Amino acid sequence: MKPEELQKLPPEVYKELEEVVGPENISEEPALLDGYAWQPTFNSSPDLWVPRCAAAVLPGSTEEVQAVVRICNKHNILYKAHSTGWGTFNAVKAGGIVLDMRRMNRIVEIDEKNMYAVVEPYVSGISLQAELLSRGLNCHMIGAGCGASLLASATSGVGDGWDGISMSYSPRNVLGVEWVLPDGELLQMGSLGSHGTWFSGDGPGPSLRGAMRGWCGAFGGLGVFTRVAVKIFNWPANGDHRSEGLMFDYLPPLPENLKVFMVVFRDRGSFAEGMYKIGEAEIGYIQCRNALGMILGGALPRFQRKLPGVPAMVEMLKSMQFCLTHIIAANSPRELAYQEKALRAIALDSEAFVLDMGQLPLGGLLFWGLVKDSLPPLIFRIGGQFSSVFGHDETWDSSILLNRVGQEIKQKWIDRDGMIDDLADNAWMFLQEDGMWTHCEELILYDPREEKHVRSVNNAIAEAMISAVEHCQGPGFMLLNPMVRRMLSPMMSHYNFWTKKLKKEFDPLGLSDDVAYCSEEDVEEADIDLENMTFDIPPEELARIFEERISVIPAPREMAQ
Amino acid sequence: MAVKAVEDLKERLAGIVGETSVNDDRNDLLQYARPDGDGHLPTCVVRPVNPEQVTALVVLANETGLNLVPVSSGPPHARGGTAPESGAVMVDLSAMDRIVRMDRRNKVAIVEPGVTFGRLASEASKVGLKALMPLLPRQRKSVLASYLEREPIIIPKYHWDATDPLLCMEVVFGTGDMFRTGSAAGPGSLEQQWEHGEAQKNPMGPGQTDFGRLVQGAQGTMGIVTWGSVKLEVMPSEHRIYFVNDSLERLIEFAYPVLRRKMADEFLILDGTAFATTMRGGAAEIGDLAGRIPGYVLVLGISGYEYFPGERVTYLVNDMADLAKEAGVALTRSAAGVDHLEAERALSGPSGEPYYKHRMKGGSRDLFFLTTLDRVPAFTAAMESLAQEHGHPVGEIGTYIQPIQHGRTVHLEFDIYFDPGSAKDAARAGGLFSAAAKACQEMGGFFSRPYGPWADMAFEACPDTVDALLKVKRVLDPRGVMNRNKLCFKEA
Ligand SMILES: Cc1cc2nc3c(=O)[nH]c(=O)nc-3n(C[C@H](O)[C@H](O)[C@H](O)COP(=O)(O)OP(=O)(O)OC[C@H]3O[C@@H](n4cnc5c(N)ncnc54)[C@H](O)[C@@H]3O)c2cc1C
Repeated sequence: MKPEELQKLPPEVYKELEEVVGPENISEEPALLDGYAWQPTFNSSPDLWVPRCAAAVLPGSTEEVQAVVRICNKHNILYKAHSTGWGTFNAVKAGGIVLDMRRMNRIVEIDEKNMYAVVEPYVSGISLQAELLSRGLNCHMIGAGCGASLLASATSGVGDGWDGISMSYSPRNVLGVEWVLPDGELLQMGSLGSHGTWFSGDGPGPSLRGAMRGWCGAFGGLGVFTRVAVKIFNWPANGDHRSEGLMFDYLPPLPENLKVFMVVFRDRGSFAEGMYKIGEAEIGYIQCRNALGMILGGALPRFQRKLPGVPAMVEMLKSMQFCLTHIIAANSPRELAYQEKALRAIALDSEAFVLDMGQLPLGGLLFWGLVKDSLPPLIFRIGGQFSSVFGHDETWDSSILLNRVGQEIKQKWIDRDGMIDDLADNAWMFLQEDGMWTHCEELILYDPREEKHVRSVNNAIAEAMISAVEHCQGPGFMLLNPMVRRMLSPMMSHYNFWTKKLKKEFDPLGLSDDVAYCSEEDVEEADIDLENMTFDIPPEELARIFEERISVIPAPREMAQ
Repeated sequence: MAVKAVEDLKERLAGIVGETSVNDDRNDLLQYARPDGDGHLPTCVVRPVNPEQVTALVVLANETGLNLVPVSSGPPHARGGTAPESGAVMVDLSAMDRIVRMDRRNKVAIVEPGVTFGRLASEASKVGLKALMPLLPRQRKSVLASYLEREPIIIPKYHWDATDPLLCMEVVFGTGDMFRTGSAAGPGSLEQQWEHGEAQKNPMGPGQTDFGRLVQGAQGTMGIVTWGSVKLEVMPSEHRIYFVNDSLERLIEFAYPVLRRKMADEFLILDGTAFATTMRGGAAEIGDLAGRIPGYVLVLGISGYEYFPGERVTYLVNDMADLAKEAGVALTRSAAGVDHLEAERALSGPSGEPYYKHRMKGGSRDLFFLTTLDRVPAFTAAMESLAQEHGHPVGEIGTYIQPIQHGRTVHLEFDIYFDPGSAKDAARAGGLFSAAAKACQEMGGFFSRPYGPWADMAFEACPDTVDALLKVKRVLDPRGVMNRNKLCFKEA
């Protein structure tokens, strides 16, 4: 740890905080704080640590959160909230404090009829789902896994998950919100503020959900969210779904009227057509295209590592590259029969074949893995780390384009041993809201112990970013990087100019750490090895494209002055 | 405004939009004033034809302190959202009426503010798509204005979130700066994005702020929208309308599981009066039909699409019949003599003339807010007793219950019909309207779209929201040039 990262809080500040949360809920013990600083995921630094925070504070109520934030404002202390803590996003800059929200772990309300649940920050997807399934309800979970906080992705993160076809993505599922603003004031959004009810998050007048978050959230840069009402959805299966055993070692049965299929499309073109039809037929519950390299790597990592040495096997697997996992969930045998018939007909028309996975021993495991969102951590089995590029949400045609481009970029790095060979095409893609739009991101798997991999990943990310600009695609997760924001904001209606202005209004002292929100950094600081880029657009052509993209929307007049 | 000042102003405006597009004829201006005749008459109206002119107008307003009030729909303007609260220049966008793009594959259109529902529906149907409509919109109702105001659509299964069916927008903020929301923001121009397979489908963002949400519901106080992309849905290959006529309580019991499973397309509940005004033309026929309907009517549509449409409809009808049995209600193909085909026709386009809310008595005061389905009976009971207190016949109030967001919330609307030719009738309706608004607010009705007098009432209940909205306003319209004094944005 570098010396400047070992900043401590002034004793009087520590004392004030301690008075709010009690001595058992605050710590500046280095060993404990290192628990927060060990953040390898999405950390491209080779040492896999983030700066150690000055203290961790565990508020137990909204009032305590307000008091803590007010103390930070009084003493000019940087802070950031941390709910369930997947990835580096919750790391506060050196000298700041982390508000660890784990004591706020209550499911406050489940309104079965009106289909929403009110949760605190430390309620994970799986803990709410456990309450919901027996009530015939379910909740949207993000692809980070069932252990992630529902509130974090609804208010502050991104929010894509494989139930997107029937349960949308987290920001679309927000109703009332309780929000401790960066200055410590409380904002209760929507009907909550007017009447103490949670059923609507928009209004009166313009919706403040727009200030709270956009395609992604402020990632801790705009105060602390203490409660949120999230939409919950139909779960058509009856009965008790308990079963014995551990992951990969249990054979749970599928509930009645629910089925899981693999639909294998002939090629990218047939995949493109078939998915449009599936969306229009409105027949999906959970659905996604997990690349074969990913599935194999998650289940059989050693086999996957040996795979490149068996070209015939690689070719065979590549012939099944466009493979969709698709769950249908019907409310009656009649509906099941209809949906299955429609799915099979679409497959036939799109030159795909359908495997009813429920007929195979692993079907139950796959089904429940998807329903319970328990499979995501398997991604770490392959090389130890992963990163994600593109991450865009638009039409299916544009997702298909990204899928091709992503594969091309990755193949070059795989050929140079710069990352793990996952058959190059590892795009995670699916329909949202019955195909109204779609999600696609390209996953990069690597081994952080391999120096070559660590050096390559940033380069591959930079190439993907340039490619996103070239292909007019949203940059997705890459926008969490201050350098990327500086570079891309002028090509995206100068959005960050406006976001920074909002930040200034809501957080005049700038204490809610905005590193993943709206701060910007010079591109020269980037840890990119230009010499080694594999990108093949000539520099002058690239400059022309960038200029052209910047010229679409004029800079705000205030900026130009 | 002094005559000289008006002439100067007109000249500057004419320099932007051309002389023929600036007008201060009193008769022309009257259409923009408050429906009750109170309030201000605008100084003049300008009719821009492109985003550049709109930008120049907002820049001019920033330089001169003008109050600009954007308006897209044709008259009559019932709610007063666009009626100026102080001297204003109306920015009438109805001449910007292009359907910029119709994309069958991605089920989306880009429309300018002057496009009406009738036009959008007819163009969409040519490529096998349908427009998502509110209940019988006025003939000249702008699609964008309706969606910007978060008016409910009648198909709740396509209403995933409060912003639907509006997706991306081009907007000139109150600062005079142009912006594109959602995935339309870039990288790339519209044409370049189309070339790469995009279709301006994702409304969120760009980035960490959802600018569209800050413009929507703002009654023109944040900026002027010059186009928007809007969701369309596949025109069903087979479509059937059913009715369920029963008590409100039973209908609600039946509604919950149907909504949860997203079984129906159209799904709305009307009392006898509202049902009659939507289905019949003349006052006598309306009175007759309303009198023959006990309780409420749920109108629902069932669709089949490209794959086995008949089989889809059949399984849904059978499954719904099972649910109906459990709730003790029955699905029928006619209600009090109104045949499913009549309902199909009535709901498939904008309102015929006269506008359906004016058919019974010529005028209507519309009271609406958000609540949940289970809370609706308490509001209808309160409304009934208030009507009695005010001596307004209960049969002259149309009640419309529209589930939105898949049924999590409902838009509850009471249309208080009155005879505009009778001062007494109008005053009585006005009295009931004000008293009922207050009572409903006190009972927890959420006035998420607070027009006119509701604004003070709604914002008094949430001072924290007002503080936050003022922050947003300072960013997007720091000089307060957009629709001044509306919502909570009062001049000091
Ligand atoms: C293996 C893996 C897979 C992933 N897959 C997906 C995916 O499929 N889809 C997806 O959307 N994301 C995915 N992510 C990233 C995802 O955005 C975040 O991991 C997730 O939202 C984090 O939630 P959390 O509670 O675990 O993290 P946290 O770190 O607790 O929170 C995430 C961010 O929100 C802020 N925050 C948390 N709580 C609050 C609060 N109460 N108030 C204010 N700010 C708060 C934090 O400061 C942080 O910046 C993945 C991550 C991993 C590690």
